[in-house]
Amino acid sequence: MMGLHIPADFFRDLLAGMVVNFEIAAVALLIGLALGGLLALGRLGGGAVGAVATTLIGLMRAAPTFVVMFFLLNIIPRDATLFGIGVSPSPLMIVALSLVPYSASYVADNGAESLKQLRAGSPLGALQFLPNVTRAFFVLVMSSSAGAAIGVTEGIAVILREAVLLPALGDKLVLFAIGILFFGATLQAGFALMRLLQRHLGRLAMRDQAIP
Amino acid sequence: MRAWPTLRLALAGILAGAVATFPFVATAETPDAALAKLIEDARAEASAPDTCAKPELDRLVRVFCDNRIRPGVREYYPLFGTREGQTRSGYDVDVARALARHLSVEPVFVRVNAATRVPLLADDRIDVILATMGHNTQRDGQVRFIRPHYYQSETIIVGPRALPVKGWADIAGRTICVTIGNGSNAQIVSHNARLMLFDEAGVLPDQLREETCTLAAQDDSFFDYYFIEPDFANRFDKKFGFAQVPWGMAVARTASADRLARALDLMSQIFHRDGVFLGIARANRVGTGFLERQRAVWNRPECNTDAGSTNSACVLPALDAALQPTPFAGRVTAIEDWIEARTGVDFSLPMFKTMPAWSLFKDGIVNSLILVAGALAATLLFAMVLGGLQSSRRFLLRWPARAGTIVLQSSPVVLTLVIAAAVAQAIFPYSSAVAIGAAIVALGLMNGSNAGQAIAEAMHTLRTERGSVQGTGGIPTIDLFGRAVSRSATQIVSFLINAAKGTPIASFIGAPELLSALTDITSFASGRATTYTLLLVFYVAVVVVVVWLCGRFRSWLEHRQAAA
Repeated sequence: MMGLHIPADFFRDLLAGMVVNFEIAAVALLIGLALGGLLALGRLGGGAVGAVATTLIGLMRAAPTFVVMFFLLNIIPRDATLFGIGVSPSPLMIVALSLVPYSASYVADNGAESLKQLRAGSPLGALQFLPNVTRAFFVLVMSSSAGAAIGVTEGIAVILREAVLLPALGDKLVLFAIGILFFGATLQAGFALMRLLQRHLGRLAMRDQAIP
Repeated sequence: MRAWPTLRLALAGILAGAVATFPFVATAETPDAALAKLIEDARAEASAPDTCAKPELDRLVRVFCDNRIRPGVREYYPLFGTREGQTRSGYDVDVARALARHLSVEPVFVRVNAATRVPLLADDRIDVILATMGHNTQRDGQVRFIRPHYYQSETIIVGPRALPVKGWADIAGRTICVTIGNGSNAQIVSHNARLMLFDEAGVLPDQLREETCTLAAQDDSFFDYYFIEPDFANRFDKKFGFAQVPWGMAVARTASADRLARALDLMSQIFHRDGVFLGIARANRVGTGFLERQRAVWNRPECNTDAGSTNSACVLPALDAALQPTPFAGRVTAIEDWIEARTGVDFSLPMFKTMPAWSLFKDGIVNSLILVAGALAATLLFAMVLGGLQSSRRFLLRWPARAGTIVLQSSPVVLTLVIAAAVAQAIFPYSSAVAIGAAIVALGLMNGSNAGQAIAEAMHTLRTERGSVQGTGGIPTIDLFGRAVSRSATQIVSFLINAAKGTPIASFIGAPELLSALTDITSFASGRATTYTLLLVFYVAVVVVVVWLCGRFRSWLEHRQAAA
């Protein structure tokens, strides 16, 4: 541990890698919002469409992200085209797509609840959707580290490629601790933002109730 | 008189031996003489009237009729077969030129790659394959290989110079980048390494430079080119080599190609003996170790004869690459064909067709189920322990548990798994069981800490409701803890499901569960789409069963709470 030497560009690379984690999470959440929103509307509509939407949401909830990632990586041909345009996704996009079942099912569950609140005349209750989506975003940031398994240079991949050159367990643990610190700070900042949003919405609700 | 029968027998034996030896002595000649006669005869036939117009012409005669030979060579294999504009270069190309020169005909090159070289030969669009083709027993049924082999490659592991990897013992648990279909992948898998698969070898050097791959495995002939680059050679080196495979020129497996094959056999012998191959290799800066050894072999008197290329003491055997089929491989193939015929879908089930794949598949399923069961049990156990500690009135118990929970919540799942694996490997020697155990502990800790936090929060609310004092209202602490567990049933169940869903990620640290097993199978077999679809179905089914079981568990906990 005495000999631990972290290269000068390690922290720059780590931060650049974490930006990739945020990119993956943002793409996964955007697609999840679109798909999950449709599924939530479908479920609330009832009937055959509702049953199909409910089944799809259930299956997406059950699909392990890591398996979906390898499934997409192996079934989409590298030279796939649509109307002559290459549509083969990059490894980064594959990680984002593998997180869509989680984000879409999460959005569908919370979106349906928000729509119910809205229809019940509680717009503030419906607005609880925002902190919940913020929570999902930070869960996606943490989950995007799975990309290290298929060669995406995100934050954890940067830490692991440095760790592989360290022979001593103590040195490796120091490096891993740095990773936890960086990701932990991001996660806790995200949750603080979520709590701030919830508190703000709570104050709004109290003010509405106070108005006769 | 009694000695007469014995003497007769001895004389007969001597006579039989002399007769058997005489033809050999009489016909044994140098490969040069045999080749000269073969060429002379074929040229004479080619010059006879109407011969060249005959159908099914002997291919050696046709070479002289057309005054050309059509070698199939690669165009994008650095140092062996490349093309820039109209200029071709590389070891294979120069060997083809040397053959043509020896026959006094023109080489007419045809572009081939790994997938097209055998079909082009079968379609008679090339005369000889000279395209980095390894000689294995499977290919022996498709083409007629020329002996002696004109080159030999081996698979080498390449990585950063600073990385202390010297042999198989240092490979266990590491990720190695490989190309799909490489014959040596099965050997790498058998040494507990994880594979990261790529379609093309060409991307491997860049993946090493970008540090996406720490180690890569590919033919030494492929990496020879990159080691010429000073920057690459300064950063990376060869760790070790394995799976030597001889490369063979090949002609069609038909009677009409027999004389061409014989001529090439003899030329190959002569080229080894006289150092022609060696000179071409030096000129193209490819490895020469094999060629130097072969030169010594083909200068030995017993090999330097016209029969040398069939002498097992002189030629190398083909690599035995055939995988043992399962007893039901035939029925599996029939099912694949039946589905393809009716649906048009290319359906492939490689995990049922060869014994190594079948063994990996069975072990993968068993290990996946052990992982799921273990992760569920560990999550429940850590939830109880950490929930209990976080509910404690003792500061020294409560705060370390809370701090640990925050750290576990702050660590991405992949990092937690890697830490667990690193600690486990520092205590125990690497094995599959250690990887599975480390994954169970990591998944249990991650999900159990969250569930434990939920139990502690439920405990807090119960205490608040009952006046904030432990055991108030006549409820013993253990009973209160039981009620807290019941109250947090939804949270516990949700983290149990999360633990089950997270088990495939254990493959990242080398746990040989189903995802890992199928990745290994598809690295040396076809059928990726079917394989990964089955994998997804398997894991979704497992999670659905876990969800159902957890639903029953939650109902029991809630019923218990209602009764309390």
